[in-house]
Amino acid sequence: MIEVQHLTKRYGPFTAVDDVSFRVEKGEILGFLGPNGAGKTTTMRVLTGYMPATEGTATVAGYDVFAQPIEAKRRIGYLPETPPLYPDMTVREYLTFVARLKMPATVSKAEREAKIEGAMARTHIADMATRHCSKLSKGYKQRVGIAQALLHDPEVLILDEPTAGLDPKQIIETRDLIRGLAGNHTIILSTHILPEVSQTCTRVVIINKGRVVAIDTPDNLTRQLKGSATLYVQVDAAGSDAAATLSLVPGVRGVMEFDRHDSQVGYEISAETDRDIRRDIARSIVDKGWGLLELRPLRMSLEDIFLQLTTDETGKVVADAPPAEPSTSESEVTNA
Amino acid sequence: MRNIMTIAGKELRGYFVSPMGWVVMGLFALLFGYFFYAHLSFFVQQSMQSQGGGPVNVNQGMIRGVLGNASVIILFLLPMITMRTYAEEKRSGTIELLLTSPVTDVEIVFGKFLGAVGFYAALLGVTMLNIAILFIFGNPEVMPVVTGYLGLFLLGSCLISLGLFISSTTKNQVVAGAATFVVALLLWIVSWLGSSFGPNTAAVLSYLSITEHFDDFSKGVIDTKHALYYLSVIAFGLFLTVKSVDTERWRG
Repeated sequence: MIEVQHLTKRYGPFTAVDDVSFRVEKGEILGFLGPNGAGKTTTMRVLTGYMPATEGTATVAGYDVFAQPIEAKRRIGYLPETPPLYPDMTVREYLTFVARLKMPATVSKAEREAKIEGAMARTHIADMATRHCSKLSKGYKQRVGIAQALLHDPEVLILDEPTAGLDPKQIIETRDLIRGLAGNHTIILSTHILPEVSQTCTRVVIINKGRVVAIDTPDNLTRQLKGSATLYVQVDAAGSDAAATLSLVPGVRGVMEFDRHDSQVGYEISAETDRDIRRDIARSIVDKGWGLLELRPLRMSLEDIFLQLTTDETGKVVADAPPAEPSTSESEVTNA
Repeated sequence: MRNIMTIAGKELRGYFVSPMGWVVMGLFALLFGYFFYAHLSFFVQQSMQSQGGGPVNVNQGMIRGVLGNASVIILFLLPMITMRTYAEEKRSGTIELLLTSPVTDVEIVFGKFLGAVGFYAALLGVTMLNIAILFIFGNPEVMPVVTGYLGLFLLGSCLISLGLFISSTTKNQVVAGAATFVVALLLWIVSWLGSSFGPNTAAVLSYLSITEHFDDFSKGVIDTKHALYYLSVIAFGLFLTVKSVDTERWRG
Protein backbone atom coordinates (compact mmCIF):
# COMPACT_ATOMS: atom_id res chain seq x y z
CA MET A 1 0.00 0.00 0.00
CA ILE A 2 2.87 2.33 0.85
CA GLU A 3 6.32 1.80 -0.50
CA VAL A 4 9.27 4.03 0.24
CA GLN A 5 12.58 3.41 -1.45
CA HIS A 6 15.90 5.07 -0.71
CA LEU A 7 14.23 8.25 0.37
CA THR A 8 16.63 11.08 1.12
CA LYS A 9 15.77 14.66 2.03
CA ARG A 10 18.38 17.34 2.43
CA TYR A 11 17.94 20.91 3.55
CA GLY A 12 21.05 22.52 2.19
CA PRO A 13 23.95 20.74 3.88
CA PHE A 14 21.71 19.14 6.50
CA THR A 15 20.39 15.64 5.78
CA ALA A 16 17.05 15.23 7.52
CA VAL A 17 16.19 11.84 6.07
CA ASP A 18 18.93 9.55 4.86
CA ASP A 19 18.23 6.61 2.56
CA VAL A 20 15.04 5.42 4.24
CA SER A 21 13.21 2.41 2.78
CA PHE A 22 10.18 0.57 4.11
CA ARG A 23 6.91 -1.01 3.03
CA VAL A 24 3.51 -0.94 4.65
CA GLU A 25 0.95 -3.57 3.68
CA LYS A 26 -2.75 -2.92 3.47
CA GLY A 27 -4.46 -2.78 6.87
CA GLU A 28 -1.26 -2.43 8.84
CA ILE A 29 -0.56 0.18 11.48
CA LEU A 30 3.03 1.25 11.21
CA GLY A 31 4.54 3.11 14.13
CA PHE A 32 7.19 5.67 13.40
CA LEU A 33 9.35 5.98 16.43
CA GLY A 34 12.25 8.29 17.05
CA PRO A 35 13.51 11.13 19.17
CA ASN A 36 12.62 14.70 18.25
CA GLY A 37 14.38 15.78 15.09
CA ALA A 38 14.89 12.23 13.88
CA GLY A 39 13.19 12.88 10.55
CA LYS A 40 9.71 11.50 11.29
CA THR A 41 7.84 14.62 10.25
CA THR A 42 10.00 15.12 7.18
CA THR A 43 9.35 11.56 6.00
CA MET A 44 5.62 12.05 6.51
CA ARG A 45 5.65 15.35 4.68
CA VAL A 46 7.33 13.72 1.72
CA LEU A 47 4.80 10.88 1.75
CA THR A 48 1.88 13.31 1.78
CA GLY A 49 3.28 15.29 -1.13
CA TYR A 50 3.84 18.38 0.98
CA MET A 51 7.46 18.50 -0.11
CA PRO A 52 9.43 16.57 -2.70
CA ALA A 53 12.29 14.28 -1.75
CA THR A 54 15.87 15.01 -2.75
CA GLU A 55 16.34 11.42 -3.82
CA GLY A 56 14.36 8.21 -3.85
CA THR A 57 10.74 7.31 -4.53
CA ALA A 58 7.56 6.97 -2.53
CA THR A 59 4.42 5.22 -3.73
CA VAL A 60 1.05 5.43 -2.03
CA ALA A 61 -1.76 3.11 -3.13
CA GLY A 62 0.07 2.50 -6.38
CA TYR A 63 0.60 6.17 -7.22
CA ASP A 64 3.98 7.84 -7.13
CA VAL A 65 3.65 10.88 -4.89
CA PHE A 66 5.98 12.93 -7.09
CA ALA A 67 4.76 11.91 -10.53
CA GLN A 68 1.02 11.67 -9.77
CA PRO A 69 0.57 13.88 -6.71
CA ILE A 70 -3.15 14.56 -7.17
CA GLU A 71 -4.06 10.88 -7.44
CA ALA A 72 -1.88 10.00 -4.46
CA LYS A 73 -3.23 12.87 -2.34
CA ARG A 74 -6.82 11.75 -2.97
CA ARG A 75 -5.97 8.54 -1.15
CA ILE A 76 -4.19 10.08 1.81
CA GLY A 77 -5.59 11.56 4.98
CA TYR A 78 -2.99 13.58 6.83
CA LEU A 79 -2.87 15.00 10.31
CA PRO A 80 0.13 17.32 10.61
CA GLU A 81 1.91 17.95 13.89
CA THR A 82 -0.27 20.98 14.55
CA PRO A 83 -3.87 20.42 13.45
CA PRO A 84 -4.38 22.70 10.42
CA LEU A 85 -7.51 24.51 11.60
CA TYR A 86 -8.85 27.87 10.52
CA PRO A 87 -9.62 29.72 13.75
CA ASP A 88 -12.50 31.75 12.34
CA MET A 89 -14.47 28.74 11.06
CA THR A 90 -16.80 26.59 13.09
CA VAL A 91 -16.01 22.89 13.19
CA ARG A 92 -18.72 22.06 10.69
CA GLU A 93 -17.73 24.88 8.33
CA TYR A 94 -14.15 23.73 8.51
CA LEU A 95 -14.99 20.10 7.77
CA THR A 96 -17.23 21.20 4.91
CA PHE A 97 -14.37 23.18 3.41
CA VAL A 98 -11.98 20.23 3.74
CA ALA A 99 -14.59 17.86 2.29
CA ARG A 100 -15.05 20.09 -0.78
CA LEU A 101 -11.31 20.24 -1.22
CA LYS A 102 -10.65 16.54 -0.84
CA MET A 103 -13.67 14.78 -2.28
CA PRO A 104 -14.12 14.44 -6.03
CA ALA A 105 -16.77 16.62 -7.68
CA THR A 106 -18.95 13.54 -8.25
CA VAL A 107 -19.75 13.25 -4.55
CA SER A 108 -23.23 14.62 -3.91
CA LYS A 109 -23.96 17.20 -1.22
CA ALA A 110 -26.00 14.71 0.83
CA GLU A 111 -23.21 12.15 0.68
CA ARG A 112 -20.67 14.77 1.66
CA GLU A 113 -22.72 15.86 4.64
CA ALA A 114 -23.22 12.25 5.71
CA LYS A 115 -19.46 11.76 5.70
CA ILE A 116 -18.92 14.93 7.73
CA GLU A 117 -21.43 13.75 10.33
CA GLY A 118 -19.80 10.32 10.30
CA ALA A 119 -16.33 11.72 10.88
CA MET A 120 -17.61 13.94 13.70
CA ALA A 121 -19.33 10.97 15.34
CA ARG A 122 -16.25 8.78 15.09
CA THR A 123 -14.01 11.37 16.70
CA HIS A 124 -16.67 12.43 19.26
CA ILE A 125 -16.78 16.07 18.24
CA ALA A 126 -20.43 16.28 17.18
CA ASP A 127 -21.31 18.41 20.21
CA MET A 128 -18.69 20.96 19.12
CA ALA A 129 -19.98 21.27 15.55
CA THR A 130 -21.02 24.90 15.87
CA ARG A 131 -18.06 25.99 18.01
CA HIS A 132 -15.33 28.10 16.41
CA CYS A 133 -12.05 26.27 15.97
CA SER A 134 -10.20 28.99 17.90
CA LYS A 135 -12.40 28.30 20.93
CA LEU A 136 -11.61 24.58 21.12
CA SER A 137 -9.36 22.97 23.72
CA LYS A 138 -6.14 21.35 22.56
CA GLY A 139 -7.70 17.90 22.75
CA TYR A 140 -10.68 18.90 20.63
CA LYS A 141 -8.44 20.62 18.10
CA GLN A 142 -6.50 17.40 17.77
CA ARG A 143 -9.71 15.44 17.27
CA VAL A 144 -10.99 17.85 14.65
CA GLY A 145 -7.61 17.32 12.96
CA ILE A 146 -8.17 13.57 12.98
CA ALA A 147 -11.74 14.02 11.72
CA GLN A 148 -10.37 16.12 8.88
CA ALA A 149 -7.88 13.37 7.99
CA LEU A 150 -10.40 10.56 7.78
CA LEU A 151 -13.19 12.64 6.28
CA HIS A 152 -12.85 11.45 2.70
CA ASP A 153 -12.31 7.80 3.65
CA PRO A 154 -8.71 7.68 2.46
CA GLU A 155 -6.99 4.35 1.96
CA VAL A 156 -3.95 5.66 3.77
CA LEU A 157 -3.88 7.68 6.97
CA ILE A 158 -0.74 9.50 7.99
CA LEU A 159 -0.91 10.82 11.52
CA ASP A 160 1.88 12.91 12.97
CA GLU A 161 1.72 12.45 16.75
CA PRO A 162 -2.03 11.93 16.91
CA THR A 163 -2.18 11.72 20.70
CA ALA A 164 0.01 14.73 21.47
CA GLY A 165 -1.70 17.11 23.85
CA LEU A 166 -4.61 14.83 24.74
CA ASP A 167 -5.59 13.87 28.26
CA PRO A 168 -5.26 10.19 29.29
CA LYS A 169 -8.91 9.37 28.59
CA GLN A 170 -8.73 10.97 25.16
CA ILE A 171 -5.47 9.16 24.44
CA ILE A 172 -7.15 5.82 25.08
CA GLU A 173 -10.11 6.83 22.93
CA THR A 174 -7.84 7.96 20.13
CA ARG A 175 -5.81 4.76 20.25
CA ASP A 176 -9.02 2.72 20.11
CA LEU A 177 -10.18 4.82 17.20
CA ILE A 178 -6.91 4.26 15.35
CA ARG A 179 -6.99 0.53 16.03
CA GLY A 180 -10.57 0.46 14.78
CA LEU A 181 -9.57 2.20 11.57
CA ALA A 182 -6.94 -0.40 10.70
CA GLY A 183 -8.09 -3.04 8.31
CA ASN A 184 -9.99 -0.64 6.08
CA HIS A 185 -7.21 1.90 6.23
CA THR A 186 -3.47 1.60 6.19
CA ILE A 187 -2.02 3.80 8.88
CA ILE A 188 1.33 5.37 9.57
CA LEU A 189 1.59 7.17 12.85
CA SER A 190 4.53 8.82 14.48
CA THR A 191 5.08 9.19 18.16
CA HIS A 192 7.74 9.41 20.76
CA ILE A 193 5.54 7.76 23.35
CA LEU A 194 6.69 4.16 23.43
CA PRO A 195 3.75 2.37 25.06
CA GLU A 196 1.63 3.80 22.31
CA VAL A 197 3.57 1.84 19.74
CA SER A 198 3.33 -1.48 21.52
CA GLN A 199 -0.37 -0.90 22.11
CA THR A 200 -1.48 0.24 18.69
CA CYS A 201 1.03 -0.69 16.04
CA THR A 202 1.50 -3.91 14.15
CA ARG A 203 4.96 -2.88 13.05
CA VAL A 204 7.54 -0.37 14.17
CA VAL A 205 10.13 1.65 12.32
CA ILE A 206 12.69 3.13 14.66
CA ILE A 207 14.35 6.11 13.10
CA ASN A 208 17.25 8.14 14.43
CA LYS A 209 19.15 10.99 12.81
CA GLY A 210 17.33 10.38 9.56
CA ARG A 211 18.25 6.71 9.33
CA VAL A 212 16.16 3.62 9.93
CA VAL A 213 17.66 1.74 12.87
CA ALA A 214 15.16 -1.10 13.08
CA ILE A 215 11.95 -2.34 11.45
CA ASP A 216 10.00 -5.15 13.11
CA THR A 217 6.92 -6.02 15.15
CA PRO A 218 7.00 -4.64 18.68
CA ASP A 219 7.12 -8.20 20.10
CA ASN A 220 10.00 -9.25 17.90
CA LEU A 221 11.96 -6.19 18.79
CA THR A 222 11.51 -6.88 22.47
CA ARG A 223 12.55 -10.52 22.06
CA GLN A 224 15.40 -9.96 19.67
CA LEU A 225 17.06 -7.25 21.62
CA LYS A 226 16.67 -8.70 25.05
CA GLY A 227 20.30 -9.82 24.97
CA SER A 228 20.80 -11.49 28.31
CA ALA A 229 18.07 -12.24 30.81
CA THR A 230 18.00 -9.98 33.81
CA LEU A 231 16.54 -10.74 37.21
CA TYR A 232 15.79 -8.57 40.17
CA VAL A 233 16.26 -10.14 43.63
CA GLN A 234 15.63 -8.53 46.98
CA VAL A 235 17.25 -10.26 49.92
CA ASP A 236 17.32 -9.64 53.66
CA ALA A 237 20.78 -11.02 54.32
CA ALA A 238 21.01 -9.64 57.86
CA GLY A 239 24.24 -7.82 57.14
CA SER A 240 26.21 -10.50 55.32
CA ASP A 241 27.29 -10.05 51.70
CA ALA A 242 24.71 -11.75 49.50
CA ALA A 243 26.36 -10.65 46.27
CA ALA A 244 29.24 -13.08 46.70
CA THR A 245 26.88 -15.99 47.30
CA LEU A 246 24.64 -15.05 44.35
CA SER A 247 27.53 -14.77 41.94
CA LEU A 248 28.49 -18.39 42.73
CA VAL A 249 25.14 -19.71 41.43
CA PRO A 250 25.79 -21.49 38.10
CA GLY A 251 24.64 -19.46 35.10
CA VAL A 252 25.05 -16.07 36.74
CA ARG A 253 27.15 -13.65 34.73
CA GLY A 254 27.15 -10.70 37.05
CA VAL A 255 25.57 -9.28 40.18
CA MET A 256 25.01 -5.59 40.73
CA GLU A 257 23.61 -3.90 43.76
CA PHE A 258 20.45 -2.06 42.72
CA ASP A 259 18.99 -0.56 45.88
CA ARG A 260 19.31 -0.90 49.64
CA HIS A 261 17.00 -0.27 52.60
CA ASP A 262 18.76 -1.10 55.87
CA SER A 263 19.50 -4.79 55.63
CA GLN A 264 17.23 -5.36 52.63
CA VAL A 265 19.33 -5.25 49.51
CA GLY A 266 18.10 -5.46 45.92
CA TYR A 267 20.37 -6.92 43.23
CA GLU A 268 20.19 -6.94 39.50
CA ILE A 269 21.47 -10.26 38.23
CA SER A 270 22.35 -10.83 34.61
CA ALA A 271 22.21 -14.45 33.56
CA GLU A 272 22.72 -16.60 30.50
CA THR A 273 19.62 -16.58 28.36
CA ASP A 274 19.36 -20.31 27.69
CA ARG A 275 18.55 -21.41 31.24
CA ASP A 276 16.14 -20.32 33.93
CA ILE A 277 18.19 -19.81 37.09
CA ARG A 278 15.40 -18.54 39.32
CA ARG A 279 15.06 -21.83 41.23
CA ASP A 280 18.81 -22.02 41.89
CA ILE A 281 18.93 -18.46 43.14
CA ALA A 282 15.96 -18.96 45.44
CA ARG A 283 17.49 -22.15 46.81
CA SER A 284 20.88 -20.55 47.47
CA ILE A 285 19.27 -17.75 49.44
CA VAL A 286 16.95 -19.98 51.43
CA ASP A 287 19.85 -22.38 52.19
CA LYS A 288 21.74 -19.52 53.82
CA GLY A 289 18.74 -18.82 56.01
CA TRP A 290 18.22 -15.33 54.54
CA GLY A 291 14.89 -13.82 53.69
CA LEU A 292 13.92 -13.84 50.01
CA LEU A 293 11.69 -10.79 49.63
CA GLU A 294 11.35 -10.47 45.90
CA LEU A 295 12.42 -12.29 42.76
CA ARG A 296 11.29 -11.26 39.32
CA PRO A 297 12.58 -11.10 35.77
CA LEU A 298 13.38 -7.65 34.43
CA ARG A 299 11.94 -7.49 30.93
CA MET A 300 13.47 -5.14 28.51
CA SER A 301 10.82 -2.63 27.58
CA LEU A 302 10.50 -0.93 24.25
CA GLU A 303 11.91 2.07 26.05
CA ASP A 304 15.18 0.26 26.71
CA ILE A 305 15.30 -0.99 23.14
CA PHE A 306 14.71 2.45 21.86
CA LEU A 307 17.42 3.93 24.01
CA GLN A 308 19.77 1.07 23.17
CA LEU A 309 19.20 1.42 19.44
CA THR A 310 19.38 5.15 19.24
CA THR A 311 22.42 5.46 21.48
CA ASP A 312 24.14 2.39 19.98
CA GLU A 313 23.95 4.01 16.62
CA THR A 314 25.59 7.20 17.82
CA GLY A 315 28.14 5.16 19.79
CA LYS A 316 29.01 3.27 16.64
CA VAL A 317 29.47 6.40 14.61
CA VAL A 318 31.83 7.80 17.18
CA ALA A 319 33.74 4.52 17.39
CA ASP A 320 33.96 4.15 13.62
CA ALA A 321 35.32 7.58 12.97
CA PRO A 322 38.81 7.45 14.50
CA PRO A 323 40.01 4.19 12.84
CA ALA A 324 38.84 5.51 9.50
CA GLU A 325 41.19 8.44 9.68
CA PRO A 326 44.50 6.65 10.23
CA SER A 327 43.68 4.19 7.45
CA THR A 328 43.22 7.00 4.93
CA SER A 329 46.37 8.75 6.06
CA GLU A 330 48.17 5.42 5.87
CA SER A 331 47.08 4.86 2.32
CA GLU A 332 48.23 8.34 1.53
CA VAL A 333 51.61 7.52 2.98
CA THR A 334 51.88 4.33 0.94
CA ASN A 335 50.80 6.15 -2.15
CA ALA A 336 53.45 8.76 -1.60
CA MET B 1 -12.38 25.12 -11.43
CA ARG B 2 -14.40 23.70 -8.54
CA ASN B 3 -11.28 23.65 -6.37
CA ILE B 4 -10.53 27.26 -7.27
CA MET B 5 -14.03 28.30 -6.28
CA THR B 6 -13.83 26.34 -3.01
CA ILE B 7 -10.64 28.16 -2.05
CA ALA B 8 -11.90 31.52 -3.32
CA GLY B 9 -15.07 31.06 -1.26
CA LYS B 10 -13.07 30.27 1.84
CA GLU B 11 -10.85 33.32 1.31
CA LEU B 12 -13.77 35.64 0.67
CA ARG B 13 -15.52 34.35 3.75
CA GLY B 14 -12.32 34.93 5.71
CA TYR B 15 -12.36 38.65 4.85
CA PHE B 16 -15.91 39.07 6.03
CA VAL B 17 -15.45 37.31 9.36
CA SER B 18 -12.17 39.04 10.21
CA PRO B 19 -12.08 42.49 11.76
CA MET B 20 -9.43 43.46 9.21
CA GLY B 21 -11.90 43.09 6.35
CA TRP B 22 -14.40 45.41 7.99
CA VAL B 23 -11.73 47.91 9.01
CA VAL B 24 -10.50 48.11 5.43
CA MET B 25 -14.02 48.44 4.11
CA GLY B 26 -14.89 51.12 6.65
CA LEU B 27 -11.74 53.13 6.00
CA PHE B 28 -12.24 52.91 2.27
CA ALA B 29 -15.85 54.06 2.52
CA LEU B 30 -14.81 56.90 4.80
CA LEU B 31 -11.95 58.15 2.62
CA PHE B 32 -13.94 57.75 -0.57
CA GLY B 33 -16.84 59.59 1.02
CA TYR B 34 -14.55 62.43 2.06
CA PHE B 35 -13.05 62.86 -1.42
CA PHE B 36 -16.50 62.53 -2.95
CA TYR B 37 -17.80 65.32 -0.75
CA ALA B 38 -14.76 67.53 -1.39
CA HIS B 39 -15.01 67.13 -5.15
CA LEU B 40 -18.75 67.60 -5.13
CA SER B 41 -18.70 70.87 -3.23
CA PHE B 42 -15.89 72.17 -5.42
CA PHE B 43 -17.82 71.12 -8.51
CA VAL B 44 -21.01 72.79 -7.31
CA GLN B 45 -19.13 75.98 -6.52
CA GLN B 46 -17.56 75.99 -9.97
CA SER B 47 -20.81 75.41 -11.81
CA MET B 48 -22.39 78.29 -9.88
CA GLN B 49 -19.64 80.62 -11.04
CA SER B 50 -19.78 79.51 -14.64
CA GLN B 51 -23.50 80.29 -14.92
CA GLY B 52 -24.40 81.36 -18.37
CA GLY B 53 -21.35 79.59 -19.77
CA GLY B 54 -21.52 76.19 -21.45
CA PRO B 55 -22.93 73.13 -19.68
CA VAL B 56 -20.59 71.66 -17.08
CA ASN B 57 -19.59 68.01 -17.37
CA VAL B 58 -20.06 65.98 -14.18
CA ASN B 59 -17.98 63.14 -15.55
CA GLN B 60 -14.91 65.19 -16.33
CA GLY B 61 -15.31 67.78 -13.61
CA MET B 62 -16.13 65.51 -10.75
CA ILE B 63 -16.28 61.71 -11.14
CA ARG B 64 -12.90 61.54 -12.82
CA GLY B 65 -11.24 63.30 -9.92
CA VAL B 66 -12.96 61.13 -7.33
CA LEU B 67 -11.95 57.91 -9.05
CA GLY B 68 -8.41 59.24 -9.41
CA ASN B 69 -8.29 59.74 -5.66
CA ALA B 70 -9.74 56.29 -5.10
CA SER B 71 -6.90 54.80 -7.13
CA VAL B 72 -4.46 56.27 -4.62
CA ILE B 73 -6.49 55.17 -1.58
CA ILE B 74 -6.41 51.57 -2.70
CA LEU B 75 -2.61 51.68 -2.93
CA PHE B 76 -2.70 52.11 0.83
CA LEU B 77 -5.52 49.74 1.62
CA LEU B 78 -4.97 46.70 -0.57
CA PRO B 79 -1.78 45.61 1.21
CA MET B 80 -3.98 45.08 4.27
CA ILE B 81 -6.11 42.69 2.26
CA THR B 82 -3.35 40.64 0.71
CA MET B 83 -0.90 40.52 3.59
CA ARG B 84 -2.56 37.59 5.33
CA THR B 85 -3.34 35.43 2.29
CA TYR B 86 -0.27 33.21 2.44
CA ALA B 87 1.64 34.50 5.45
CA GLU B 88 -1.12 33.57 7.89
CA GLU B 89 -1.51 30.07 6.45
CA LYS B 90 2.20 29.51 6.70
CA ARG B 91 2.34 30.75 10.27
CA SER B 92 -0.60 28.70 11.51
CA GLY B 93 0.33 25.58 9.54
CA THR B 94 -2.92 25.42 7.58
CA ILE B 95 -0.83 25.64 4.42
CA GLU B 96 -0.04 21.97 5.10
CA LEU B 97 -3.70 21.16 4.63
CA LEU B 98 -3.85 22.98 1.29
CA LEU B 99 -0.60 21.57 -0.04
CA THR B 100 -1.53 17.99 0.88
CA SER B 101 -5.02 18.23 -0.59
CA PRO B 102 -5.66 16.97 -4.11
CA VAL B 103 -5.42 20.45 -5.63
CA THR B 104 -2.62 21.99 -7.67
CA ASP B 105 -0.54 24.98 -6.60
CA VAL B 106 -2.00 26.96 -9.48
CA GLU B 107 -5.53 26.27 -8.24
CA ILE B 108 -4.60 27.46 -4.75
CA VAL B 109 -3.02 30.66 -6.08
CA PHE B 110 -5.98 31.41 -8.37
CA GLY B 111 -8.41 30.67 -5.58
CA LYS B 112 -6.68 33.06 -3.23
CA PHE B 113 -6.42 35.69 -5.96
CA LEU B 114 -10.11 35.45 -6.83
CA GLY B 115 -11.06 35.58 -3.17
CA ALA B 116 -9.13 38.81 -2.65
CA VAL B 117 -10.41 40.27 -5.92
CA GLY B 118 -13.93 39.39 -4.82
CA PHE B 119 -13.50 41.32 -1.62
CA TYR B 120 -12.02 44.23 -3.54
CA ALA B 121 -15.04 44.19 -5.84
CA ALA B 122 -17.21 44.47 -2.74
CA LEU B 123 -15.15 47.50 -1.65
CA LEU B 124 -15.77 49.14 -4.99
CA GLY B 125 -19.42 48.19 -4.69
CA VAL B 126 -19.73 50.26 -1.52
CA THR B 127 -18.42 53.36 -3.32
CA MET B 128 -21.03 52.97 -6.03
CA LEU B 129 -23.57 54.16 -3.48
CA ASN B 130 -21.93 57.59 -3.65
CA ILE B 131 -21.87 57.59 -7.42
CA ALA B 132 -25.51 56.48 -7.47
CA ILE B 133 -26.41 59.75 -5.74
CA LEU B 134 -25.06 61.65 -8.73
CA PHE B 135 -27.26 59.61 -11.02
CA ILE B 136 -30.31 60.38 -8.89
CA PHE B 137 -29.77 64.13 -8.79
CA GLY B 138 -27.97 64.65 -12.07
CA ASN B 139 -27.46 62.94 -15.35
CA PRO B 140 -23.84 61.88 -15.78
CA GLU B 141 -22.85 59.65 -18.66
CA VAL B 142 -22.76 55.97 -17.72
CA MET B 143 -19.93 54.72 -19.87
CA PRO B 144 -17.08 56.85 -18.43
CA VAL B 145 -18.15 55.70 -14.97
CA VAL B 146 -18.10 52.08 -16.10
CA THR B 147 -14.66 52.37 -17.66
CA GLY B 148 -13.41 54.24 -14.60
CA TYR B 149 -14.52 51.38 -12.39
CA LEU B 150 -13.03 48.87 -14.81
CA GLY B 151 -9.73 50.73 -14.53
CA LEU B 152 -9.92 50.78 -10.75
CA PHE B 153 -10.73 47.10 -10.75
CA LEU B 154 -7.74 46.24 -12.96
CA LEU B 155 -5.43 48.50 -10.98
CA GLY B 156 -6.48 46.86 -7.72
CA SER B 157 -6.15 43.38 -9.19
CA CYS B 158 -2.53 44.18 -10.09
CA LEU B 159 -1.79 45.19 -6.53
CA ILE B 160 -3.55 42.07 -5.21
CA SER B 161 -1.52 39.84 -7.48
CA LEU B 162 1.74 41.46 -6.38
CA GLY B 163 0.61 41.44 -2.74
CA LEU B 164 -0.17 37.74 -3.00
CA PHE B 165 3.36 37.09 -4.19
CA ILE B 166 4.90 39.13 -1.40
CA SER B 167 2.71 37.37 1.17
CA SER B 168 3.84 34.00 -0.15
CA THR B 169 7.45 34.81 0.62
CA THR B 170 7.06 35.30 4.37
CA LYS B 171 5.41 33.90 7.47
CA ASN B 172 4.90 37.33 8.94
CA GLN B 173 1.85 39.25 7.79
CA VAL B 174 3.15 42.57 9.02
CA VAL B 175 6.28 42.17 6.92
CA ALA B 176 4.13 41.16 3.96
CA GLY B 177 1.85 44.16 4.43
CA ALA B 178 4.70 46.65 4.79
CA ALA B 179 6.60 45.31 1.79
CA THR B 180 3.48 45.32 -0.36
CA PHE B 181 2.77 48.88 0.67
CA VAL B 182 6.29 49.99 -0.28
CA VAL B 183 6.04 48.26 -3.66
CA ALA B 184 2.63 49.83 -4.29
CA LEU B 185 3.96 53.24 -3.32
CA LEU B 186 6.97 52.87 -5.62
CA LEU B 187 4.73 51.89 -8.51
CA TRP B 188 2.74 55.04 -7.93
CA ILE B 189 5.55 57.58 -7.51
CA VAL B 190 8.01 56.14 -10.00
CA SER B 191 6.66 58.48 -12.68
CA TRP B 192 7.51 61.55 -10.56
CA LEU B 193 11.16 60.75 -10.96
CA GLY B 194 10.77 60.94 -14.71
CA SER B 195 10.89 64.73 -14.93
CA SER B 196 14.41 64.87 -13.50
CA PHE B 197 15.75 62.52 -16.19
CA GLY B 198 15.77 62.79 -19.95
CA PRO B 199 12.61 62.38 -21.99
CA ASN B 200 13.33 58.71 -22.82
CA THR B 201 13.81 57.69 -19.21
CA ALA B 202 10.77 59.69 -18.27
CA ALA B 203 8.68 57.79 -20.82
CA VAL B 204 9.86 54.44 -19.49
CA LEU B 205 9.29 55.40 -15.87
CA SER B 206 5.85 56.78 -16.50
CA TYR B 207 4.98 53.60 -18.40
CA LEU B 208 5.97 51.57 -15.34
CA SER B 209 3.83 53.65 -13.03
CA ILE B 210 0.70 51.81 -12.11
CA THR B 211 -1.45 54.93 -11.77
CA GLU B 212 -0.45 56.54 -15.10
CA HIS B 213 -2.33 53.80 -16.93
CA PHE B 214 -5.43 54.56 -14.97
CA ASP B 215 -5.83 58.05 -16.41
CA ASP B 216 -7.37 57.02 -19.71
CA PHE B 217 -9.81 54.69 -17.99
CA SER B 218 -11.04 57.52 -15.80
CA LYS B 219 -11.55 59.69 -18.90
CA GLY B 220 -13.79 56.99 -20.32
CA VAL B 221 -11.28 55.58 -22.79
CA ILE B 222 -10.41 51.92 -22.89
CA ASP B 223 -6.99 51.74 -24.47
CA THR B 224 -5.73 48.17 -25.04
CA LYS B 225 -2.24 49.44 -24.23
CA HIS B 226 -3.29 50.18 -20.67
CA ALA B 227 -5.51 47.13 -20.28
CA LEU B 228 -2.62 45.00 -21.47
CA TYR B 229 -0.28 46.60 -18.95
CA TYR B 230 -2.61 45.72 -16.10
CA LEU B 231 -3.26 42.22 -17.36
CA SER B 232 0.45 41.52 -17.73
CA VAL B 233 1.21 42.76 -14.22
CA ILE B 234 -1.56 40.50 -12.88
CA ALA B 235 -0.20 37.51 -14.82
CA PHE B 236 3.34 38.30 -13.70
CA GLY B 237 2.36 38.52 -10.03
CA LEU B 238 0.43 35.24 -10.19
CA PHE B 239 3.31 33.56 -11.99
CA LEU B 240 5.73 34.70 -9.29
CA THR B 241 3.36 33.44 -6.59
CA VAL B 242 3.12 29.98 -8.15
CA LYS B 243 6.90 29.84 -8.42
CA SER B 244 7.34 31.06 -4.87
CA VAL B 245 5.01 28.38 -3.49
CA ASP B 246 6.85 25.76 -5.52
CA THR B 247 10.25 26.93 -4.28
CA GLU B 248 8.98 26.87 -0.73
CA ARG B 249 8.16 23.18 -1.14
CA TRP B 250 11.66 22.34 -2.24
CA ARG B 251 13.24 24.30 0.54
CA GLY B 252 10.85 22.77 3.05
